[in-house]
Amino acid sequence: MTTADTRVAVEATPQAPGPRGRARRRTPRPSATPRHLQSDLTAYLMIAPMVVLLGIFVFWPLVYSFWLSLHSINFYLGNEWVGTQFYRYVLTDERFWDSIKVGVTYAVMVVPTGMVISLILAMFIKTLRGRTASVMKTVVYLPAVLSSVIAAILFAFMGQDAGLINAAIGVVGIEPIAWLNSPTFALPAVALAGVWLGLGVSTLILLSALNEIPESYYESAALDGASFLQQTWYITIPLLRNVFLFLLVTGFTLTIQEFQLPLIMTNGGPVGATKTPNLFIFDSFRENTPYSTSFSLAAALLLFLVLGAISLVIFRLLRSEKAIDA
Amino acid sequence: MSLRRRKLWSAAGAVVAASLVLSSCGGSGGDNEESDGKAHVIFWQQKFEDYQQEWFKQHVDDFNASQDEVEVEYVVVPAEAWQQKLKAAQAAGNQPDVATTNYGGIRPGAASGQFMPLDGLLPEDRFADIKDNVKEFVTVDDKHYAYPMLVEPSTVLYYRTDLAKAAGLDPDSPPTTWDELVSWAEALTDGKTKGMTIASTQGDLAWSSWGLQLNACGDFPLRGDWSSADATDPCYADLIDLYTRLYQGGFMPETPKVAYPDALPYGEGEVAMMANGSWAIGQLKNDFPDLVDKTAVAPFPSIDGDETKPTATLGGWTLTVDGKADDPEAAAAFIDYLVAGDPEIMADFFKMSGLSKYTVRTSVDEVLANDPKAKEDPFMQTISDQVVPYGMPEPAYPIDISNAMATAIESVMKGSASAEDALATANDAMDEIIEKQGLAGAGEG
Amino acid sequence: MSSDQRSGAAPGRVSQMHGTVAQRTIKGLFTLLIAIAILFPVAWMAIAAFKSKTEVLRSPFQFFPDTWDPQNYVDMLQDDEFMRAMTVTFIGALVFTALSLLVNSLAAYAFARLDFRFKRFWWVYCITPMFVPMMAILLTSFMVVTKLGMLNTMAVLIIPGVASSLQMFFLRQFYLGHPAAIEEAALIDGANRWQIFWTIFLPQSKAPFVVVGCASFLAYWNAYVWPVLTITDPNLTQIMQVLGNFRSERGVEWGLLMAGSAIATLPTIILLLIFQRYIVSGVRMAGIK
Repeated sequence: MTTADTRVAVEATPQAPGPRGRARRRTPRPSATPRHLQSDLTAYLMIAPMVVLLGIFVFWPLVYSFWLSLHSINFYLGNEWVGTQFYRYVLTDERFWDSIKVGVTYAVMVVPTGMVISLILAMFIKTLRGRTASVMKTVVYLPAVLSSVIAAILFAFMGQDAGLINAAIGVVGIEPIAWLNSPTFALPAVALAGVWLGLGVSTLILLSALNEIPESYYESAALDGASFLQQTWYITIPLLRNVFLFLLVTGFTLTIQEFQLPLIMTNGGPVGATKTPNLFIFDSFRENTPYSTSFSLAAALLLFLVLGAISLVIFRLLRSEKAIDA
Repeated sequence: MSLRRRKLWSAAGAVVAASLVLSSCGGSGGDNEESDGKAHVIFWQQKFEDYQQEWFKQHVDDFNASQDEVEVEYVVVPAEAWQQKLKAAQAAGNQPDVATTNYGGIRPGAASGQFMPLDGLLPEDRFADIKDNVKEFVTVDDKHYAYPMLVEPSTVLYYRTDLAKAAGLDPDSPPTTWDELVSWAEALTDGKTKGMTIASTQGDLAWSSWGLQLNACGDFPLRGDWSSADATDPCYADLIDLYTRLYQGGFMPETPKVAYPDALPYGEGEVAMMANGSWAIGQLKNDFPDLVDKTAVAPFPSIDGDETKPTATLGGWTLTVDGKADDPEAAAAFIDYLVAGDPEIMADFFKMSGLSKYTVRTSVDEVLANDPKAKEDPFMQTISDQVVPYGMPEPAYPIDISNAMATAIESVMKGSASAEDALATANDAMDEIIEKQGLAGAGEG
Repeated sequence: MSSDQRSGAAPGRVSQMHGTVAQRTIKGLFTLLIAIAILFPVAWMAIAAFKSKTEVLRSPFQFFPDTWDPQNYVDMLQDDEFMRAMTVTFIGALVFTALSLLVNSLAAYAFARLDFRFKRFWWVYCITPMFVPMMAILLTSFMVVTKLGMLNTMAVLIIPGVASSLQMFFLRQFYLGHPAAIEEAALIDGANRWQIFWTIFLPQSKAPFVVVGCASFLAYWNAYVWPVLTITDPNLTQIMQVLGNFRSERGVEWGLLMAGSAIATLPTIILLLIFQRYIVSGVRMAGIK
């Protein structure tokens, strides 16, 4: 992350196709020391509120959690130092790794699907005008308005034996499927709800990004005889790279952490098929023993590392792709 | 430009100010301040059926009004967030003085210092009032760590007499063996209406199958002092076989619409029989009154028809005093008033429950014995005479062990393993849990 | 992007989008299809609220109620606790959204446009919270807010979530795309960074502010576990806590839950209807002109 961050960003800055954008990309570097110090001060003042708030409400608790996770936690008889014992327990627990696998599979089902559908929707809505456009912007956002609890209930109900989905596939002559109670279909069924829930925000994000692309690019491309697909491939997608990076990184970290949907739709079942990492941690936490507190804390902190690593890989991948382009 | 900048800061200032004003709006309650000279007791109740909240609210108010020494602050906590809220509060040191605790939580809680023994806090005769079989549920090392409120058998058979008759079955002689149960379920399955409903997911199976584990094997998979697991005992394969026959035979809904304790599918007529706890009676009486006349209750069938074998565990709720309670006497005074003293108060609870729960105190039984409704209730008779006496306590080991057994049952039901393999996996998982959680030697036997 | 590029576009070609009658019909059908697919579950919720408690989950699937009974809606609207929770949560969500837009956009601007010492360190610092699972800091952040005496205040609901890595990251990605030319010109004119942020960047941030602002609003609106942990004062009860009361393992008040949830979506929908017009083409252009 450290090395990837600023460079990806600077290089991925949308620029006019063609060489002329390159020259004027960077802000002029301050030359004199006072100005430089001043710039430091301004920047620090600007990030200060965020840094302080995160310090109090995320990093302080995080460090304290880490300290606690090195103990066998007992709020009554006192904590007992056990070092990394609980980390060993988590790392040797097959169910933890299974849950990571489920989380990653789920994210792989949800994130790219969601991005493609959102892009198509956004490109479509961009072509609309007037009232239709206003209505559609609101309509696509509606799923996001529901709490995931309600969405989970609605989709769980549609996936019942005599539910809507089975009724729909029955029309084309397919036998009913126990969507939520079959090891094969449960995860895709939860993913369907996940995609639906996530559509609103990502479509609006892509739509606002699409609107940032000057119409003139498409016009000159059209003059050169580029087809719609070519325009999409050579103009739209490259210029949305910043947004794709954002959607990929945040999409993966958030969907791997999903637990409300599987908790309500399948309770992690059947046979652990939808037990995402956070659901696994939540289940351990629910137990009324000192062991479960320490164990779930260690598992959550390890999940933190896994998520960080996955995001690092995404940052790196996008950067290396840049290198090939250049 | 500078004008605009000033605007930015005034806008920011306004927002911050607004939030500070808002934050000072609240700020009441939650602590143990004794400005009025009373001892403040914080009581958390895990949310259950609506009538329970009603009963608690009313009697907490009555208690507060009845004396001026103790003031109880009553907080209802949703079940799904209970453990998070409780643990967070324990970590921060503002946990409740009195809380609802189920029987399964008493042993581990007592071992970790979470509860204060009630001996000495409550009058001695209150403990004598508790029925003998329940007394052991709340006793650890000869000390009483909780005062019990009720017991609920986890598994009872409900069936539709009209549908049984229509299917050519005799509603007066319900199935008594597992084989008969399966043939009833088969006979009652008719198109969209399934023969029965029973747990089919790991989360439900973990605890709802306890009674049947005892029925098949006479014991839980962790026995004696818990030094090793006995999940490979072939009798558990018989239990798995029961679930698998019902599930794979198509005699039960493939996807459970609601969790095991919710009687909705039975109430809506989607199934003809239902395995559920005694609490379901309350739901049937409240939400599906038309169905009550067409419903009969029987002990859940036994593997070989032996009615004296347990088919249910007796779950239920107690009140506990926190190990760090500021004023244990005040907390105990509240418990004494609500659940240990005047038997009328608890009798009121059982009446409000639609007689779907069972008493744990002799004195409350006596009060209910004079109640005509209780005497005539057909469900109550069957359950208290034929189920409760054979009911066993819930296992005291961590739920992880039960989850391992539930995973075994579920994976065979859904065809992802053979019974033998699934039980071997469960056995290994249990041994791992025993080792990691240091359970060896913690069992009673 | 820059003025010379704009002048390269001949006027009048923008109208290419309109197309023939056939194209417009197809577009209309497509619009309808999308709307139905997306709206179906929402509509089901709103309609299910007209059903009785046990009718909601009836099999086989039934979209419309046996009889249209608005009682659930009436009950909810007459429920003081529910309406109070709506109001309190709405105010909290507005303050929360405003504060988080302010805090996060400032940081986003600094990370996108300024060079400063240890920038990488602070970037990693600010982005890391995105990967911290809620369960990892649930206990300890509760301990922190307890120590700070924040329990049972609006502050405990608002302040801890204001700084959001996700939102900052998004706004930074957006600011990165801004052309440097105007900023340079303003610097040469003697404007400082605060002025540039306030007069150039903020006015152009309407679209992303609407997008992330809605997300913030919803995050606050739909929060459940945190309010359950920190709020016991009935005057501050949040909307999801009230809706949570309709659910329990032993039977759910389906009709009321659906009615309450449907009503609870209204404020956000209204806000979006008001603000969606800022998500339009040519925002950047207008800002630059």
